[in-house]
Order: sequence, then structure tokens, then C-alpha cells
Amino acid sequence: MLELSSLALQIGFLTVLYVFLFWVATSALRDVAQAGRPAAAADPDATGLHAAVDSMAVASSGSDAQLVVVAAPGHETGWTYDIGPGATLGRGDVEIRLEDQFASSRHARIIRQGSTLVLEDLDSTNGTWLNDSQLGGPTPLHAGDRIRIGDSEFRFQP
Amino acid sequence: MSDRNRELFALVPASLLLVGGFAAVFIQNSASQSGLSLSYGALFLGLCLAGHVVVRITVPHADPYLFPIVAVLASLGLVVIYRISPDLARAQAQWFVVALIFFAGTLIFLRDYRKLERYRYTIAAASLVLLLLPRVPGLGQQVNGAFLGVRLPGGIVFQPTEFAKIGIVVFLASYLRDTRQVLVQGARRFAGITIPKLKHLGPLLLIWGAAMLMLIFIRDLGSSLMFFGGFLAVLYVATDRLSFPLIGFLMFSVGAWFLATHVGHVHDRVDAWLNPFDPALYDRPGGSYQLAQSLFAQADGGILGRGLGGSMVTLPGGGNLVPAPQTDLIYSVITDELGLTGACGVILCYLLFVARGFKIATIARDSFSTLLAVGLTSVLALQVFVIVGGVTRVIPLTGVTLPFVSYGGSSLVANFVLAALLLLISDRARRPA
Repeated sequence: MLELSSLALQIGFLTVLYVFLFWVATSALRDVAQAGRPAAAADPDATGLHAAVDSMAVASSGSDAQLVVVAAPGHETGWTYDIGPGATLGRGDVEIRLEDQFASSRHARIIRQGSTLVLEDLDSTNGTWLNDSQLGGPTPLHAGDRIRIGDSEFRFQP
Repeated sequence: MSDRNRELFALVPASLLLVGGFAAVFIQNSASQSGLSLSYGALFLGLCLAGHVVVRITVPHADPYLFPIVAVLASLGLVVIYRISPDLARAQAQWFVVALIFFAGTLIFLRDYRKLERYRYTIAAASLVLLLLPRVPGLGQQVNGAFLGVRLPGGIVFQPTEFAKIGIVVFLASYLRDTRQVLVQGARRFAGITIPKLKHLGPLLLIWGAAMLMLIFIRDLGSSLMFFGGFLAVLYVATDRLSFPLIGFLMFSVGAWFLATHVGHVHDRVDAWLNPFDPALYDRPGGSYQLAQSLFAQADGGILGRGLGGSMVTLPGGGNLVPAPQTDLIYSVITDELGLTGACGVILCYLLFVARGFKIATIARDSFSTLLAVGLTSVLALQVFVIVGGVTRVIPLTGVTLPFVSYGGSSLVANFVLAALLLLISDRARRPA
């Protein structure tokens, strides 16, 4: 009797262990299969849809707001970029070009709305971070704000 | 099912294992009622639930499988330790609570783990101090010829390497994030292999030197393999050049071979590894006794094992069949009791943990996160390799703990912090915009 219950427990123990492992393994495999897909979707922001909107920000130019490089691959710390009427950041052919493998070709942009500059993520793959929190919708920038895209970090200087 | 509910559900098997395991040991000892095991299981489930709630609040998007895998390993560890000694199991359960507190603390106070980057030199220096602490006279403690422990007041033995491994990985990830481009630029390619410029080998040589120094000072092949291997993994991912880890591994092998033939303690270990059943070596102090007994115990397990509580951990004449059964050689005891099947289950747990870790590294959204996840995962994987490889006689046996399973507060706490860091990285990576 004792032997039998011992054996049953032993088998039960191993069964639970393997059921758990099987479950985690299959879920993990499903996860890996899913991960393949979004990468194939490429940069949705390469369509140029946003390009038309950029020109709207020209209205009040002549601002001397700048982005200061805190740390960014291919840029030297301390370099500054004039935002002017507005600027797009990304890996493609944009105003502020990032040499960052985590950046999308058109990653984020800064546009002028009235007297404030607004940061907006352009549906980038890896997101844009403002002061350690991820950017949701368009957000106004304040002096000293830190903008982070992948490995590149800038400080906003109005 | 949402990620967090999936995680919650996955905690059930961990508690079942604990209940079943304790019940089995109770029945074997035919001592008290197995109703007690249910209350242990409930307590364990309660603790896991507390951990789960913290995860749910602080890192809602984190990987749902890491924590349950850790819980399963911890429950297995508790059962086997209880089987070896109920007193040790009580202490281990207390350490489990402490580890969960550190786990929760890391999740709460290090939410923006990227600020670790700013303190990288402080962290590196602190880790080196931790590594050298066991050599401080009067403070350090020598176990089997290796300097790994520090005796604190109150009889607690603190194992600094367990914490140093996290610090070193944090440093390497943030250092290589900045310098990786320099390492690759200006490198020549010869016959399809990238040969870095000599001056850029500087950091590599420095860390190699540090690993060799560790080998000499701490006299522990396992730990230095763990640290250097972790470094090579991070370096490989940072530079995407296979030549770096290849060159590094070659350098390590040459250094290890040289030390193995010239440093007495390391030499003994290699001797014991090559001829564990040589009677002269078996009887010699610091000889192959430990390894041979571990192999006997594993062979005794067979396919399904002797059953929990069924193996002969204590010899009839008193004394342990396997030396240090609750720490270094716990894997042999698991194999003895749960057989090849159980041992493979344990290895599979670690494999899945490592798979989740590397998965987190691939989806991370910046280099520091990627490198940190790679480093933490590699170090843990290498630690498992070093100890399981050691007791199964794949490599010379050195004393490191089996993460989450072995008895010991430092190991449990440090590895829970490691798991918390991985959860933080995965939360940031999986967070929807």
C-alpha cells in the first residue's frame, strides 16, 4: 500500500512536471512563430503619408529650438540640430538622420503647433521615449526633455 | 488568456509539485500526516501569488513564463532539500521569502533599469570588490580549496560571486553598448574571419586577464568560466563577429590549461575529473571522492528514480552518501530520486528559461536592454552548465550552486534579482505603444 502510493506520487510528480514543461514549450514556440510576422511588415512609415503633413508646420519658422545629442551612434555628444519649423528623425532620408539599428526610417517628428513644439511618434517599430516613458500620442516638449529612440538620446533645448 | 492570467495559471503546477513532493517524502519517512504537505503547498502558492501580484502591478507586459519556471525550480529545490534535512528546508523557505522580497524590490525600485548604465563604473568596482572579498584574511572562507564564501557575523556564509555576476553583466552590457562600433571598425578580414585591430583587443585582453586572475585568486575554474563565457556572449551579440568569442575561448583554454598544469588546486580537480575511480585519488583528501559518489548516486536513480525520499542520502554508518548534497551536488540527489526523467525535466526548465531570456533579448528595443538580457541569460545558463557538467563529469567539478534549486540564501536572492531584471527588460520590450 505504502509502496503503491509512493509510486503513484512519483509518477504523478513527474507527470505534473512534464505537463508544465510541455505547456510552456508549446506556448513559447507559438510566440516564436508570431515574432516572425511583424518584422516582415517592415516600416509602415515609409509610405510617405506623413510627408505631406510636414509642410504645414512651416507657418511660424525662425525658431532656434535645438536637439542636443546626449548619446547617439554616429553622432558626437554635444552636437546640436536645429529643429527650425519642424524636423523628422529616422534612419531614412530625413532632417535628423539616425545611425541606429533600432530606429525606423521615419521614426518620429517634431512639429510646431502655435508656440509649442510637439513630439510625435510615426508608428515606429520600436517606439519613442520621452523622459523614460513611452510616447503615446503627440506630446508638447519642454526645456530639458530627453528624447530617446533606440540607442540614440537627445535633449530638447528651446 | 492574457499574459498575466497565463502566468497565474502556470503557478498551479509549481504548488502541485511542492504538495506532491512533500507528501512523497512524508510517506517515505512514514512519520507524520500528509495533510501537512497540503499546508506547505498552500503557503508556497500564497507566496507565489504575492510575487505574481507584484509582477502584475509593476511589469504588466512582462514575459509570462519566467516567473512560473522559477517557481517550479524553487519548489523542486525545497522538496529535495526537505528530503535531505527538514531544518535546512525551513531555512531555505525563509530565504525564499527574502528572495521574493528582493525580487519585488527590484521590480519596484528599478523600474527604469536603464539608469544602471549611469553607475556602470561604480557597479563594476563594487563587483570586483565582491569577487575579491573571500580572499581578505579573517573574512574569507576556503571551501575545498576555492575561495568563494565570506563568513558574516551570525554564522551566515555569504557568496559574493552570485551578486558579482549580475554587476559584471550590467557593466559589460553598458560598456559594450558604447564601444562595440569601435571594436568592429577598422578590423581586417582574413579568410572570412574578422581580425580586430590589436589595440581594440585591449578590453578583451583586460577581461581575459581578470578571468585568469580570478582563476588564480579564487581558484575556481567554474566561476571564471561562467564570467568569461558571459562576457564572450555579450561581446558576440554586441559586435556580431564570431571571431571575438572564438579568439576569446581559445585564449581562455590556453590560460586554463596553463593554470591546470601549474596551480596545485586546479590540477587536483582535473586529475579527479579524468580518473574519478582511481582508488588512490578516491581516498586522497580533495580527491575524486565527491565526484565518484555523485556518479554512483546518479547511476542508482535509473530511469524513474528511487522515488522522493527513497534514495540513500545518509549512509547506514552516518554521514552523507554524497558530500554537500544540498548545495553543489543537489543535481545528483535529484537524479537519484527522480531518475533520468526528473533530471531531464530540470534541465528542460533551465532550457526554457534560457530560451525566454534570449527571446527577450531579440525583442528588446535598445542595445543596452538586448545586451543585458543576453548577458544575464548566458551567465545563468553557464552556471547551470558548470555545475551540471561538473557532477555529470563533462567538465572538472567546481562548486557553484544550481540556480533556484540549491540551498543557499545568496544564490537564491541573486538569481531572483536576475529574474526580476529579465522581467523588467521584457516588460519594456513588450509594452504596446
